Amino acid sequence: MGEIKPVYLEEKLKEIEDSGRLDYRSKTLPTWCPGCGYFSIVEAVAASLCELNIPNENAVMVSGIGCSSRFPFFVNSYGMHTLHGRALPVATGVKTANDALTVVAVGGDGDGFAIGGGHVPHAARRNVDITYLLFDNGIYGLTKGQTSPTSAIGFRTPTSPYENPDRPLNPLLMLLSYGASWVGQAYAGRPDHLHRMITQAMAHRGFSYLHILSPCVTFDKTHRTYGNLGMQVRDLPADHDPTDRLAAMREAMDDALPALGLYFREERPTLADALDGLVEKAGGELPGKVAAKPVRKAARR
Amino acid sequence: MATDIQISIVGSAGDGTIAAGDILKNALAGMGYKIISFDVYPPEIRGFGKCIARMRVTTEQVYSLKHKSDVLISLDDSHAIPHADEVRECGAVIYERASIVQLPEGGHISAHIGPGQLPYPVPVRELAEKSTSANRSRNIVVLGFLAGLLDLPDGAFLKAIAKKFKRKAEAAAASEAAYRIGREFAAQTFKLDDVVFGPPVSTVVAGATVEMISGNAAIVRGALDAGIDTFFGYPITPATSIMERLAAEMPRRGGRLLQTEDEISAISAVIGAGFAGARAATSTSGPGLSLMAEMLGMGVIGEVPAVIFVSQRGGPSTGLPTKTEQSDLHMAVFGGHGDAPRIVIAPTNVDGCYRCAGKAFELAEAYQTPVIVLVDLYLSNRYETVVFPARPPFEADVNRRPGKQAAGTQYKRYTLGGDSISPRALPGEKGGMHVVTGLEHNELGRPSDQGEMHEAMSRKRHEKLKEALKHPDFTICKRFGDEGAVDVGVISWGSNFGESLEAMLKARGEGIRCAAMKVVMLSPFPTERVAAFLADCKEVLVPELNYQGQFANLLQSHVARPVTRLNRVPGEPMKVEDILEEIRRLAGRKAAQKAA
Amino acid sequence: MTEASRKARHHIIVGSGVAGSQAAETLRECEPDARITILTLSSLLFYNRYDLPKVFRGHRDWREYLVYPAAYYRDWKINVRRCSRVAGVDARRRVIALDHKEEVRFDTLLVASGGRGYIPEDLTDFRPLMHGFSSYTEAMSAANEVPKKGHVIMLGGDMIGLDLARTLIDTRHRVTLVAGPNTFWPHEVDDTERPGLIAALEKMGIEVLEGADAGGIASIDQGAPGLSARRVLFRDGTELYGDVVMPFFGLSPSVEFMLGSGVDIERGLLVDPALRTTTEGIYAAGDVCQIWSDAERRYRFYYGWKNVRAMGDLAARNITGSSDPWVPAQDEKLHISDDGKIQSPFWEYA
Repeated sequence: MGEIKPVYLEEKLKEIEDSGRLDYRSKTLPTWCPGCGYFSIVEAVAASLCELNIPNENAVMVSGIGCSSRFPFFVNSYGMHTLHGRALPVATGVKTANDALTVVAVGGDGDGFAIGGGHVPHAARRNVDITYLLFDNGIYGLTKGQTSPTSAIGFRTPTSPYENPDRPLNPLLMLLSYGASWVGQAYAGRPDHLHRMITQAMAHRGFSYLHILSPCVTFDKTHRTYGNLGMQVRDLPADHDPTDRLAAMREAMDDALPALGLYFREERPTLADALDGLVEKAGGELPGKVAAKPVRKAARR
Repeated sequence: MATDIQISIVGSAGDGTIAAGDILKNALAGMGYKIISFDVYPPEIRGFGKCIARMRVTTEQVYSLKHKSDVLISLDDSHAIPHADEVRECGAVIYERASIVQLPEGGHISAHIGPGQLPYPVPVRELAEKSTSANRSRNIVVLGFLAGLLDLPDGAFLKAIAKKFKRKAEAAAASEAAYRIGREFAAQTFKLDDVVFGPPVSTVVAGATVEMISGNAAIVRGALDAGIDTFFGYPITPATSIMERLAAEMPRRGGRLLQTEDEISAISAVIGAGFAGARAATSTSGPGLSLMAEMLGMGVIGEVPAVIFVSQRGGPSTGLPTKTEQSDLHMAVFGGHGDAPRIVIAPTNVDGCYRCAGKAFELAEAYQTPVIVLVDLYLSNRYETVVFPARPPFEADVNRRPGKQAAGTQYKRYTLGGDSISPRALPGEKGGMHVVTGLEHNELGRPSDQGEMHEAMSRKRHEKLKEALKHPDFTICKRFGDEGAVDVGVISWGSNFGESLEAMLKARGEGIRCAAMKVVMLSPFPTERVAAFLADCKEVLVPELNYQGQFANLLQSHVARPVTRLNRVPGEPMKVEDILEEIRRLAGRKAAQKAA
Repeated sequence: MTEASRKARHHIIVGSGVAGSQAAETLRECEPDARITILTLSSLLFYNRYDLPKVFRGHRDWREYLVYPAAYYRDWKINVRRCSRVAGVDARRRVIALDHKEEVRFDTLLVASGGRGYIPEDLTDFRPLMHGFSSYTEAMSAANEVPKKGHVIMLGGDMIGLDLARTLIDTRHRVTLVAGPNTFWPHEVDDTERPGLIAALEKMGIEVLEGADAGGIASIDQGAPGLSARRVLFRDGTELYGDVVMPFFGLSPSVEFMLGSGVDIERGLLVDPALRTTTEGIYAAGDVCQIWSDAERRYRFYYGWKNVRAMGDLAARNITGSSDPWVPAQDEKLHISDDGKIQSPFWEYA
């Protein structure tokens, strides 16, 4: 950590206004508890959308159920607040219907890896061109603090009053093994880094998975706190090769000291590429070339 | 002279029973006859299970298969013997003259041919070996014999054979030889039965085409003609062929189809695609529909268009995967928690499958809600000759679009009032941004748990569906038979309506004053028109292929009226005779009351 | 098969002609619960062979010939297995082997397979060119070949043929009879009676040719185009042209399938006056059997509808417990009526 530059409030406010990223925040006030890591995420997403010049109407936020999944209401874009665990298939549907849209799927650790676990491998292996932001607070916050698949052993909650005996999943390892073409990790307590990672993830052509560690300030006062996480997180080694999947997996295995940064990246054909390829194989014509109904067809390019 | 002939070919898997049936169907359809056909497959993939190719060939429009066949062809006596008594008086039984293995008493079908039936032993194996120097093509030899016996023109058969084997020249040549040798043998055979084909009658309008097609294939055709561009599905009997056909067809038209990891993913993707403005659909059966219940509710509250093709089979749970039933009505109309009304339409024949499949996309878009097209295994696998109009009768885009937004105002996706259908903006459109949520919401789409808002939105979601009852160019229910007051009214739905209609027509022929009504739109329920029909009926009969009388339950929840239920779950279509017996009984009861 | 029917006695009758069908009727009356199966080569239920000449009067529908409708067999539970050929009989095991490789057990067997038209040795080569008349299909085949006012060449001239000749004359066809030793079979006609009977035939309208006078038949050929369909060439060089050649040389009992069964056979199956063959459980009735006649000290045939029917009835009664002896049911005299027409008891049927 270098020298801390002093920040002047008025300058900062002007900078924020001029950047245009407030356009991407809706008028709805977030329902999250003060201090929740999710505030950083929504800020970062707004900034990334702005930075990448994505028109508001072309962005679609798709969520499941949970504190994280309230997300779409706070972004000034199209959105779908769907069912517990189903953000990924819905997002796949949206993107498949219209390639021109920028689709971001968001959800929590329970939404993604408990009930939604069955959908994750398939979204990853198909390389559907969406960004999946996983808000991992290691708990079920909306329903007031039950254990989740990423909760630590020994974590005490209303559903594990005698301490959680279950070993937590390792989402990074899973996504790397599912063949995801972009895997990264960030931390809500480092908002600038988080913003950069989100921008990269959105820019990536293919399925990008960003695992975001975030404290639940209301229901987890013992494990995943800013204090603890602040001490545990580290950067990926400078010599880490993001094209080496095995190396990425090895880094992911060390979940006691979670590393932040880009774990893995590769360019490979997306789901849309594959589906377009089928059209060519079948001797059909891609919609863009057909003089068909403008509203729907032209959008998919 | 009207033709009405039903032919059954019974054999073991591996005998080419179904293939022979296909060639025969195609030949007869090519000659201009109308056909209804339903084949029976063995439940196992391998082995020597029973196959039946059964078709009814007519010059007039009919609605079901007959109780008795006119001709039975046995390719395997052990399977065909139980069906020997299905042949009518003076009908023909065609069978292999001699066995190769020693048979116990009664092991040859000749022991079971009734005195009124005419036996035609044919040396099939011998003829097959002579013509093709192989024991294959026995099924084609009997087709040749049948063609000769019934004096049908060669041309149609040879064309159908060539089409079946169009990619295998050797097999085509062998089959032609087998056909001819069978035909020759028939020329030396005396015709003793009275099964006679009258000339076909062609009533096809210029530009239209006639095709013999299955229910599932008709659904696919309807979807394609309506411009389906996205499909997500998961394999399940008996809906799998819908996805498979679309998998082959959609890429040819630039469409996108994806096989998902389960039904929940499928319906989720359909909802996502529908939200984004696509014409998206999925197909499944009862078990899959159960899985889709939660997401259907999301589609209802979010007012997102979606089309779900459901082909019912024996239930509950895994049930009877290869048998037909109509027991998912409750699930289709009510399935899912909360007050979640949706549109459910149930065609009654293959032509209806085509129309309902295409119209489903119009209905989904126009009323912004999931639409379930409910068929069953019988209808999915039934072949009928269908006349396809020159131009597909479906509208390409019926979305209600938002007009120009006044400056400073915010787009309201869920405006209340009027006909309760609010304008829908699609992702990509400026100024139309909104979030579709599964939570109850206000006009802006923002979550709201206020009681008044919930009541208003519930009313919106229910009221808008009433507009569907007036959807143009779509038959939601229809009455047949005697006009005005009748003694017995039969009301039914889905494939069972075919048998119900035939039973009603027969009863009319016996002098009973009766009528029948088919209800295609099950939700929203056409209460007014059904009530008007029921008011005309002294007795009401509701036949259906489920144990609880699900349609009777639905009907009685809208129209308070005692009805007589005829509930059967035999795993196969109801017998016309059984429905007719009930009609007679009810009519008789009526006569007894008059006398008393 | 139900448990009860499995225990019931199974009576099999080979042949669905007059004898076999009468036997089935009587068997059913005597044993209401027995299983009764008729095995026949025919594809039709029992029809009256004596009626077949009607095909030349335009009665083409086989349904008109059935003696009983299908319902009768259903009601009386008589299983008529048509198109069934018996390959052999194992008398010891009481099993019939059907030609299509099915074995059927019997408790009793009644052979009533009748006879088929006999063709003399020297004419067997020409069988394919001749038209028989022993079944509905043969009768239809012959009738289809004979045009209006066509010409039928009849060989032999047994009473079956002469009966047909009556109808042919009546329907304005031309009939030429090549007479010989089988003329008037099964009547035995001596030389003194013969000329009068031949004259009576001619009076009926039949043209009679004595085959022996022409040296016998040398060959039967297919006519050349432009000529009639058939030609009979005699050894003396004379020719006779016609549309069909029909053999009527009397009946030869159908017994081949009984060879090896242990039953005594002369020309027909040999039976005692109670119609029992030499093997227990096997009976015979009708044109197929020769019954022992004490009076004549020989086994002999009894022909004619009344006789054959009575035999069927008797066999059935004896199968079900009686032991009544055979009594001929009709006489056998051929005579000429007052108006010069031939009359034969073998032409009478109910």
